[in-house]
Amino acid sequence: MNSETLNTLDSYSKNKYKYGFVTEIDNEKPKKGLNEDTIKFISLKKNEPEWMLDWRLKAFSKWKKMKEPKWANLSFPEIDYQDIYYYSAPKGFEKKPKDLSEVDPKLIETYNKLGIPLEEQKVLAGVAVDVVFDSVSVATTYKGELEKLGIIFCSIGEAIQKHPDLIKKYLGSVIPAGDHSFSALNSAVFTDGSFVYIPEGVKCPMELSTYFRINAENTGQFERTLIIADKGSYVSYLEGCTAPKRDDNQLHAANVELIALEDAEIKYSTVQNWYPGDEDGKGGIYNFVTKRGLCAGKNSKISWTQVETGSAITWKYPSCILKGDNSIGEFYSVAITNNFQQADTGTKMTHIGKNTKSKIISKGISLGKSQNTYRGEVSFLRKADKARNYTQCDSLLVGNKCGAHTVPYIDSKNNTAVVEHEASTSKINEDQLYYCRQRGLSHEEAVSLIVNGFCKQVLQELPMEFAVEAQKLVSISLEGSVG
Amino acid sequence: MNIQDNYLKNKNNIFFSKNKDIQNHREKLINIFENDRFDKKNNESIKNINLKNFIDFKYKYLMPEETSVINNNQENSYSIVSVNGQCSSFKDDKIEITKILDEDYNDFSKNDTIENNDHFVNLNSLFLNSGFKIVIKKNNNIKIKISNIITDDNLTIFQKNNYICEEGSFLNLIEEYENKNNSTSNILKVIKLEKNSQLNHFLIQDNSTNHNLIITTHSSCKKDSTYAQKVYNFSEGYVRNFHYSELIEANSEADLQGIFFLKDNNTSNNKTFVKHLAEDCKSNQVYKGILNDRSKATYFSKTHVDQLAQKTEGYQLSKGILLSDNASYFSKPELKIYADDVKCSHGATIGPIDENAIFYLRSRGMSIIAATKLLISSFINEELSSIDNEQMSEIIQMKLVRYLSKVK
Repeated sequence: MNSETLNTLDSYSKNKYKYGFVTEIDNEKPKKGLNEDTIKFISLKKNEPEWMLDWRLKAFSKWKKMKEPKWANLSFPEIDYQDIYYYSAPKGFEKKPKDLSEVDPKLIETYNKLGIPLEEQKVLAGVAVDVVFDSVSVATTYKGELEKLGIIFCSIGEAIQKHPDLIKKYLGSVIPAGDHSFSALNSAVFTDGSFVYIPEGVKCPMELSTYFRINAENTGQFERTLIIADKGSYVSYLEGCTAPKRDDNQLHAANVELIALEDAEIKYSTVQNWYPGDEDGKGGIYNFVTKRGLCAGKNSKISWTQVETGSAITWKYPSCILKGDNSIGEFYSVAITNNFQQADTGTKMTHIGKNTKSKIISKGISLGKSQNTYRGEVSFLRKADKARNYTQCDSLLVGNKCGAHTVPYIDSKNNTAVVEHEASTSKINEDQLYYCRQRGLSHEEAVSLIVNGFCKQVLQELPMEFAVEAQKLVSISLEGSVG
Repeated sequence: MNIQDNYLKNKNNIFFSKNKDIQNHREKLINIFENDRFDKKNNESIKNINLKNFIDFKYKYLMPEETSVINNNQENSYSIVSVNGQCSSFKDDKIEITKILDEDYNDFSKNDTIENNDHFVNLNSLFLNSGFKIVIKKNNNIKIKISNIITDDNLTIFQKNNYICEEGSFLNLIEEYENKNNSTSNILKVIKLEKNSQLNHFLIQDNSTNHNLIITTHSSCKKDSTYAQKVYNFSEGYVRNFHYSELIEANSEADLQGIFFLKDNNTSNNKTFVKHLAEDCKSNQVYKGILNDRSKATYFSKTHVDQLAQKTEGYQLSKGILLSDNASYFSKPELKIYADDVKCSHGATIGPIDENAIFYLRSRGMSIIAATKLLISSFINEELSSIDNEQMSEIIQMKLVRYLSKVK
């Protein structure tokens, strides 16, 4: 690496996190710590029926017996679950505002700083936004239009009140509470999240979207998202996050469940840009997310796309259970780690039905002193005749203090199934860099261009609304190190 | 019988049991066994096997009556018959064969390449009852063939071999494991390659159904040395091939290759691990497997590139063909990279025989069985054609024909 690179590396690594600010809003919290009272408090606050409380308590009793999964290539201090607030809702939001004018102006300001002016988005982008600000959904737009089509798009809390049948049937059906300790924890204390139901044959005309925002200090966020696509329906869902700068580590353990019935298709896109900690690895979000989709019906399809640039710790494996015949699972991922970030991310494709197909494209970029791991499992069960998988995972290393790791698990129990896996690890090609520089690009522009090209296969899978943001994010994430 | 009782009862037959340090180390190992929950999911060394057979075994070892034969039939070429893991001492100006000594006991456990929860390596250290050491002297070009013979049924052989190739030496080593009795051999080989030396290591495994073979090798390569290993596993009994290689000085090379042919209820566990610790090193890990009937196989491969090991080239390839509905193959090709100027890749495929190729051959008038057989031979042709020893090539071809004759 030449001295110029090192210089740019130095100057950019001093860049501060753009979205690091805190909005001061009175928060109403229960006491710190996790016990049955906390769960009862959450359930009471959210006005939940008794069966929901029972469900939570059952999950809690499972959690008590469980240990955190240890197999990931991550190192972090033990999480003290008793030192976390499990509920924080902005005051006065037990009764929801009818429109935006009733919303606390400071909240609106926060969104503006993030570049998501609700009102503008309403008009311009045609995106219905269900904003989660500290665990309580603040405003839901475009509801009327969606209602006309019979689409239910609301917070999960509302769904528990209004659509108990659907919740009872599907909640926890893809990620059982006892799956592992983080799913049990989430099931016990989840506070909010989105619920989507697309009725039979409906193609959702717009991208549904939630912007998450972690605000109050020491508040773990436990989102629960449930998306059900009934027969022949289609939905594209966007999830995006930025978080303010904090010194204390914040725990985030979300659960996302997708269910696609016959001929249905769900596309789930995520851009994650939570606070990754500072240059010395202090602070940052701990992100332990369980995302799982079930292709329950024939010809169904679930597609995950993610751009992961934030969080101090990322532990995330969006997976697909391909149960229905001919169902398709896809996973596209870009993971960028910088400074002391650690990411252990990947996917799990479980082929159960005949002629099921899956495709995995993963791009990992490590900079600074970060560790980036791809961990993916592809398994063909005995009845998965003619199933097919293609996996490609590429890693790019910038600097010699970081690590890039690939840990694929491939398990085939069917002799007509075909699995192909390839992976490569390399650094930025000097020739490409030279070519770009020759044509007048600065060093950092050149690197940014090459990295964007490296990620293109994944970025192009993102919906338009996200594609621009994601490209910017890739460049911003690189700025800290090379340009 | 549990591990501790077994150990205490047979202490007198086991090597080095009077050495205090080794005793202490062994007691630690017993503790590991007593406290382990044998988590099959996370411990690669015990996946897919019935551990009870290996933990609750009946210890039995017989010192061979007839001494092993060392035959210098041609110049630079030796053939050794090792009986129950033993070999008598021998010395000339090119090679030296001796017993293993106390200081050889712990020579591999100083580093962390082999996980300390690898139960088979621990068993080997605990019950060590046979073994020998071969030193190839400076600047010699030698061929050695070792036939491993086990005399009785129900023996449990825990063998340790040390091979040392001194500076500038070249060794072509063929080892044959063809046993028909139902014994268990647990063999650990520690291989050291000095500057500018080379070892071509062939392991031919063809045991009958009731014979269990567990082979672990740990090789370390110094400057400009090359370790090339080829494993041919035709065994009908359980075989475990775990091969570790460390490239400790610049410009060294490790090449770990293997092919296995499984049928009936057989299981085979395979692992290769190359650790790059110096600059400009190359490694290659290629395993190919053919699985028929209800057989099961696992293959773990791993390339570790240390922060210092710039200009590394490390490649992995894993290929499996499943011939039957009930066969299963598990593959985990892993990369762990801490240096940026590297070229590393891995590829893995598992599937049936290419239908289009079958169709092509059938349309030329071949029967489906003939076409399948032809395609299997072509699948592993690369591995077979690279054998430069004619006699060995013939032996392997014969074994292949025998395997193919049972493919339906």
